[in-house]
Amino acid sequence: MDLTNNIGRNETMEERSVTHGTFVIERSYPTTPERVFAAFADPGKKRRWFAGGEGSEMEEFEMDFRVGGSERTMRRMGPQTPFPGVALTNASYYQDIVPNQRVVFAYTMSLGERRISASLATIEFVRTEKGTNLIFTDQGAYFEAGDGPKMREGGWGKLLEGLAKELARP
Amino acid sequence: MRARAEVRGPVGRQKVNIDRVFHALGDPTRRAIVERLSERPLSVSLLAKPLAITLAAVVQHLQILELSGLVHTEKIGRVRTCQIEAAGFSVAEKWISERRAIWERRFDRLGDLLAEEDEK
Repeated sequence: MDLTNNIGRNETMEERSVTHGTFVIERSYPTTPERVFAAFADPGKKRRWFAGGEGSEMEEFEMDFRVGGSERTMRRMGPQTPFPGVALTNASYYQDIVPNQRVVFAYTMSLGERRISASLATIEFVRTEKGTNLIFTDQGAYFEAGDGPKMREGGWGKLLEGLAKELARP
Repeated sequence: MRARAEVRGPVGRQKVNIDRVFHALGDPTRRAIVERLSERPLSVSLLAKPLAITLAAVVQHLQILELSGLVHTEKIGRVRTCQIEAAGFSVAEKWISERRAIWERRFDRLGDLLAEEDEK
């Protein structure tokens, strides 16, 4: 399949496809693994860092922090996003929890009724002299045309705007 | 803060290094080039015209964009034509880099929350 000339030809994008992507984020926090873990285990704390901001209103947040338990967050995309008013749903299922050491969960993200990705996320808490290293590994399957037609209409201009913002981050 | 990412597209396609893509797009001239090429393919000289830089500088920028997989150039006759390389920066890859950004912002907020708790 030649994908080099498909800009402006939307039909190519409508094919069913899956793209796999893995990324790793490492952070150091100057506090104990117990405290960092608590920010994942305590719904009141988790709500504050997990689902805030992002230019959207959070309408639902439920979590059941135990192996086999699930978590659901639903946000409405704000006016500055490519899909104003559309629901962005995050559904997680906890696969493994080792207190103060590890949390593993599978999650899907949906835009409106459409699932755009399914991922396995692993969070490791490593005790260090200075505090805690958090290692986040996200192994995802991203589904076809997850952006819907609107993003394509916005085209490269929006894409580059978003990237410029991303690049401006410290 | 460290972050690394690797994207594997459908079998047979080239590997795309998001860090390299980000580096390539970190320059305003290169962003301008990509923006213009997203409208239509152009020859190097047409591409250089509205940019206030030398042809040699444009060629250098194009080399970086080509290495990152964002732009493809091809010499047909005496003219080198440049066009967007969709495989280098597909919608899915854009989503993946965006996902990473979402999680990075979350972990920033987590850091703020932990710092706040310390102050109490």
